[in-house]
Amino acid sequence: MPRLNLPKEKTFTGPALIWKRIAAFFIDMIIVNLVVLFPFRALFRNTIPKDYSFSEAYRLLGSSANFTGYISSISLVMSILIILYFYLMERKMSQTIGKMLMKIHVVSDNNEAKAWQLLARNLVFLPVFPFVLLWAVDPLFMFFTKTNQRLTEILGKTRVVEIYTLQ
Amino acid sequence: MKPNFRWGYALFVLLMLAVLGFIAVGILSLFVGVDVESLGGNVALVPIEGIISGTDDSGFFETMTNSLDTVELIEKADKNPGIKAIILEINSPGGSAVASEEIANAVRKTNKTTVAWVREIGTSGAYWVASSADYVVANRVSVTGSIGVIGSYLEFPGLLERYNVTYQRLVSGKYKDLGSPYREMTQEEREIFQRALDGIRDYFAGEVAKNRNLNKKDMDKVANGLFYLGAEAKELGLVDELGGKDEAVRYIEKREGIKAEIVEYKKEKTLLDVLSDVMGRQSFFVGKGIGSSLFDRKAASSIGITA
Repeated sequence: MPRLNLPKEKTFTGPALIWKRIAAFFIDMIIVNLVVLFPFRALFRNTIPKDYSFSEAYRLLGSSANFTGYISSISLVMSILIILYFYLMERKMSQTIGKMLMKIHVVSDNNEAKAWQLLARNLVFLPVFPFVLLWAVDPLFMFFTKTNQRLTEILGKTRVVEIYTLQ
Repeated sequence: MKPNFRWGYALFVLLMLAVLGFIAVGILSLFVGVDVESLGGNVALVPIEGIISGTDDSGFFETMTNSLDTVELIEKADKNPGIKAIILEINSPGGSAVASEEIANAVRKTNKTTVAWVREIGTSGAYWVASSADYVVANRVSVTGSIGVIGSYLEFPGLLERYNVTYQRLVSGKYKDLGSPYREMTQEEREIFQRALDGIRDYFAGEVAKNRNLNKKDMDKVANGLFYLGAEAKELGLVDELGGKDEAVRYIEKREGIKAEIVEYKKEKTLLDVLSDVMGRQSFFVGKGIGSSLFDRKAASSIGITA
């Protein structure tokens, strides 16, 4: 069958829309929570009684250094696994599952994203001072930059983009 | 990149991380002990098993109660707002007088309802602890009481003499080798010891009398070192109710108006604790061996007073 010589679609790459980024993030977190962090549920179930109110749980957390240390170790291991998920996915495919579904992907300001760049953009997950400060500051940057970049993305010289088609 | 490959890779990463997660949880459970404060429930069950001691001398297969650990557990249960009452599960013949008093004081200081549940045995120092609770439950055939102090020890100068071994007494201070098993005790020394034992016994009996609201006359009748079965102990006022765990729980539920959910407060040893314990003990014995080959030290005193 003869191929039709149709004009090619005109596309360009631009910053991913913020709602798509947020949706991709939630999808990723749900997946990570269901699959990767699943074994940690038992640990937490044995750690904080389910009938505890937030204030009771908070009081419990501060009640002993040993207990706080225990929770910190669990949180640190969990965050390492989350970082690994984002790193391994973005390293190989420039996308996580959430980004695949939202059709957005990660690019580097240089040619190819290096390991340190991908790790830098995920430092926000570390539950250690001073990285915890990023929890609030990091996503805020997204709303005030033209390229919709988070602070760690600016530092790591990476961006999240999507392909737009010209009508 | 083909879509099939992308989804395959995503699945691979997720599975790999899930396996890593399981391994990490396993390692965390091995190396980091779960803190008892973290456990749910509203009634803390604190076990007091084996000899009560002030130090952790328990081996792999023997159970001992270290007073410091037990006091810590009682204090944690006391501080935990979710815990409404504490059950002391006692199965101990007693032990160090000091260690027993430390636990008894911790029990008395709590603001929670405390119940002592005596199982097979709760004598001497263990009974001291039981008496400090608000309510004492024991089985009809539990062995309890034995309120008294013992400081007996082996003396073997005759054996040494038989093998032509001489004890060279080198002391600065007349009583420095008081209680040495290598020589016979003098009458004066015996009286010193007896006075100390009587003093501890009087204090012990006084504390139990105070805890159980018994008068001195009644207390003197029972504080003779004799053990009593649960039924006898109830008649003598040393026990409040005959029964077991159910009776202890029922008392708490009635007094606190709660549905009891028991949670065991026990100091679990992590793998690291066990390993460091073994290493520490090995090092200690190696050191002790080297030390004794360098200095032929004689035991100054080998007496331990237990309640």
